[in-house]
Order: sequence, then C-alpha cells, then structure tokens
Amino acid sequence: MKYRKRIFLIIFLITTQLFAVQLPKRILKKVDKELVKAFEKSNLQLVSITIPAEVNTQLGKKIGASNLFQIVNTKEVIGFAYIDKAPSKTDEFDYLILLDKGLIILKTKILIYREDYGGEIGSKRWLQQFIGKSSKDQLKYKKDIMAISGATISANSMTIAVNTFLKNLTILKENKIL
Amino acid sequence: MKKIIFLTLLSVSIGLTAQVQQDSISINPQKQVNAAQRILSSNLNQKGLTIGGYAETHYNRASGENATLDVHRMVMLLGYKFNDRTQFITEIEFEHIKEVYIEQAFIQYSLSDNINLRAGLMLVPMGIINEYHEPTTFNGVERPSMDGAIVPTTWREIGLGISGKYNVADLRYQVYMFNGFTSKNGNKLLGGSNGLRNGRQKGAESTMNNVNFAGKLDYYGLLGLRLGLSGYFGRTQSDKSIEDIDGADVGVAMLGLDARYGYKRFTARGQFIHANITDSEAYNNYYGSDLGSSLQGWYIETAYNLLSQEKEQELVGFVRYEDFNTHASTEGNLAQNLSYDRNELTFGLTYKVATGAVFKADYQFKNTAISGSQTVKQLNLGFGIWF
Repeated sequence: MKYRKRIFLIIFLITTQLFAVQLPKRILKKVDKELVKAFEKSNLQLVSITIPAEVNTQLGKKIGASNLFQIVNTKEVIGFAYIDKAPSKTDEFDYLILLDKGLIILKTKILIYREDYGGEIGSKRWLQQFIGKSSKDQLKYKKDIMAISGATISANSMTIAVNTFLKNLTILKENKIL
Repeated sequence: MKKIIFLTLLSVSIGLTAQVQQDSISINPQKQVNAAQRILSSNLNQKGLTIGGYAETHYNRASGENATLDVHRMVMLLGYKFNDRTQFITEIEFEHIKEVYIEQAFIQYSLSDNINLRAGLMLVPMGIINEYHEPTTFNGVERPSMDGAIVPTTWREIGLGISGKYNVADLRYQVYMFNGFTSKNGNKLLGGSNGLRNGRQKGAESTMNNVNFAGKLDYYGLLGLRLGLSGYFGRTQSDKSIEDIDGADVGVAMLGLDARYGYKRFTARGQFIHANITDSEAYNNYYGSDLGSSLQGWYIETAYNLLSQEKEQELVGFVRYEDFNTHASTEGNLAQNLSYDRNELTFGLTYKVATGAVFKADYQFKNTAISGSQTVKQLNLGFGIWF
C-alpha cells in the first residue's frame, strides 16, 4: 500500500511538472476561454500531438510538444489547436489558431501581446481575415491580408506565422499525422 | 516517508532554481558588470535584449541655393525586457552627425493586458509622424513640413501615464502628464515661423512649473483604416523669478485628427492639426517675439505601389499636398505674416528595396501667401533604413 502511494506521488510530481512546462497557466486559461466560445462546449480536452523528428525537419517551423493539440470532446476529435509565439517589434507575442476537423481555420486569437507597439493585431476585425483559410491558401501581407497602419511589423509577423502553419499542415497531412 | 519528503523538496527546489534569474546587482564584485559590458559581452541571443535602429541620409537642393548633404538622423534602439511585464526602451539619436540626443527612454510596466504604466522620456502622441517617424514608414525624403512647424517632431518630454488597447472595441488609448515647452530656451523663443518648436526641452535638464496633459485615441476597427484623435493641453514653463508676470508663459491647446488607409497597392493618409495659443500678446510684449495666437495645418497624401504585390520590393509613387500657417491668427498689434502661410506640393518615388530599406526621391513646390512670391522648387534624394 505504502509502495503504491509513493509511486502515485512520484507520478503526480512528474506529471504536474510536465504539465507546467507544456502550457503556462495564463495561456491555458485564455485558450480554454476561446475553445468554449468557438465550439460552444465546455470540458474540452487538449491532447498534445507529437511530431516525429523526421517529419519535423521538413516543416517550415518545427512543432514542439506544446504547440499542436487535438481538441477532444468525450473521445471524439472535433478540431485542432495550434499555439505558438511570433516576433513583434521588440518582443514576442503568443497566438492561437483553431482548426475544425477539416483543417480549416475557425478562429485566430492573440493570446498575449507584451509590448505597446503593434498590439492592434489583436483586433477581432483584422483577425477575421484568417477565418476559412486552409493549406490551399497562400497568405501574403498587404495582398491577401489587409495592412494595419502603425502595426506593420506585428501584422506582417502574424501573417507569416499563419501562412507557415498552413504550409506545415500540408506536410503533416502528407505524412498522415493529421 | 523521509525519502518522499526529500524527493518533494528536491523537485520544488529544482523548479525554483530554474525560475530564479541572476540579478543585475551581483553580491560578488568580481561578477559585477555594467550595462555596456552586458550588451557588449552578449549574447545577442540573450532573451529580453533588443537592438535596433533607424537612419536617414538626405540630399536637398532648393532653387537658388547650393545642395546640402546630411546624415540627418542615426538612431540606435536598445530595449530590455526584465520580465513579461516590465520593459525599458531607449533610442539614442545622432542628428546631423554632431548632435546627440536621447529620443526616448521610458520604462513600461503592464498592469494588465489592457493597461500599461509608462514613465520617462516619451513621444507626445500628436498626429501621425511624431510617433511613427521611422523613414521606411512614410513617403518623401523629408517629413511633412507641418510636422516640423506645427507638430514639432520629434516632440518628446519626460512624463508619466498609461497606454493600452481594447481590442474588443478596436481602440488604442494613451493618456499622459508631460513636462511642457519652455517659454524661453536659451536665446531661442517661441515664434512666428515655427510656433512652439524652439520651446522643446527634450528631457535635457528641463524645468517645470506647469504640468501639461496629452492623449490620443486610435480606432482601427474598419479594415485597412486607422483613425486618430489627439489632444494636448497645458502651459509653457518659465523661471520661478518671472512665472507670475503676465506673458511669462502661454497656454497651449492642440487638437489633431489623422487617418491612414491601405488597400492592396493603394495607400492614403491625411492629418489636420489646430493649436490655440492663449496670452500670446502678453508673451510677445514681454519677450519681444511674434508668436501667433493659433497655428493650423493639414495635408493629404495618396500613394500607389507600381510593382506587383508578388514581389518583395515596392516602388511607390506618391503625391502630397500640405497647407499650414503658423500665423493662422495673431493677437493685439501683431500683423499676420503672410510668409508663414505656406503650402507645398510634393511628388516622388519611394523604392523599398527590402523590408526596412528604402531609397527616396521627390520634388517639391513650396509657396507662401505673399502675392507674387516665387515658388521655391526643391529636389530631395535620400535613403532610409529601419531594423
């Protein structure tokens, strides 16, 4: 009995630490909020997708253990979530891309923006431009995605980030990971 | 049981050690480094440190005059993020090679996602160019002339305030208390030709007896469009010995409206600024100057990228019309000086060879309201970078 308790404690300690490494609490809270809004369901689970190293090297940007997740509702995969960072003028911001089952963008959201300059990319209206895009789409700032005056660096950075992710989707599909 | 406690302690201590960052004040004197050493020895990969800058070099030739060549601005940006909430930003500027200024030096602390507390030497949010003046962000070799004579760019003073965004409403706000212009800056006075420009203290041993207030609201809820409403209110600063004398200082109330629009290869921007100066008659009598009682100006600019959007490079043709008057009205016996009522037509090309590097060429026609006065024609060439 004692032995079991010890094992339980060790596993508990390891898992809580791993969990903390995967997604910071502040981000997790915001992601949860967006999931509820987008899928109109609570108690959705995020299950991390591990990308094999040989596939990861083919990607435009490598996907780590805490970037890409299945969104699971009582054992059924209802979509995917991608969480990553991209550069702003003097810092980095955290963003979220939600995909439906068919790998089409449902929503994008700026989770944390840390500097003053360029924060306009959090505009709901501006981010709506990414909705409905899939790996078939090529996104170029100013051409396909309207510019934001005074937020060029961050708006361009977000466009590149989404475009790179969409290109990665094609590779992940080809390798039957998604 | 002991083992479990040990394991728990070990696990917690490892977690804590990973979070503790070395403080810049080291107890061991041999390990102490100053800011310059830290930057030089870095480590540019060091998280939190940002190095950037912008520069512009100009060639100007006005009709009837010889050409001038100038490394107009060379600005180095250094930023450091102490943690997710605390940032320091500074811009060190060399103007015309020989003048050194600090253009910005402020600390920002994020109270929440929507509220940042800021203190230090900051840009006064008025119009477009004062805040967004990096040479790759505007057309034309020179900044619009009213952003010199009416909005005295680069206008910065020491202050304290809050800024932030409400993305739900697509609004950015800034509210600050600033130190204001000085009534007399060495031998220089506020005056007719360039309004308040000579009164900028730029945070250099500046003096204060009147707090000034500045604010700006930016709305970006319509795709491609950004609208700005700026305000600045206060009084100029004067010496303790004369501050109660009539005319020792003037009241300043400035309002600005600006708009920027972009759709694919087309962009347009415009700005309107009106400044009301109270007690200018008393000021002029006391100091012997010719400061107007109101300043007003506007400009409109349209531009089109002549290259395909598939290309990284952009070749932008633009035309801008400006009308500004630093004697929009005068008080007392001071007659309006018509040479201060100016308009300018500028057309030219901006060749963006890379993101962050531009070559610029433009031609200007400068007129004043004096009847029969000759149009000054000016050729401007230059390049600008921003990284």
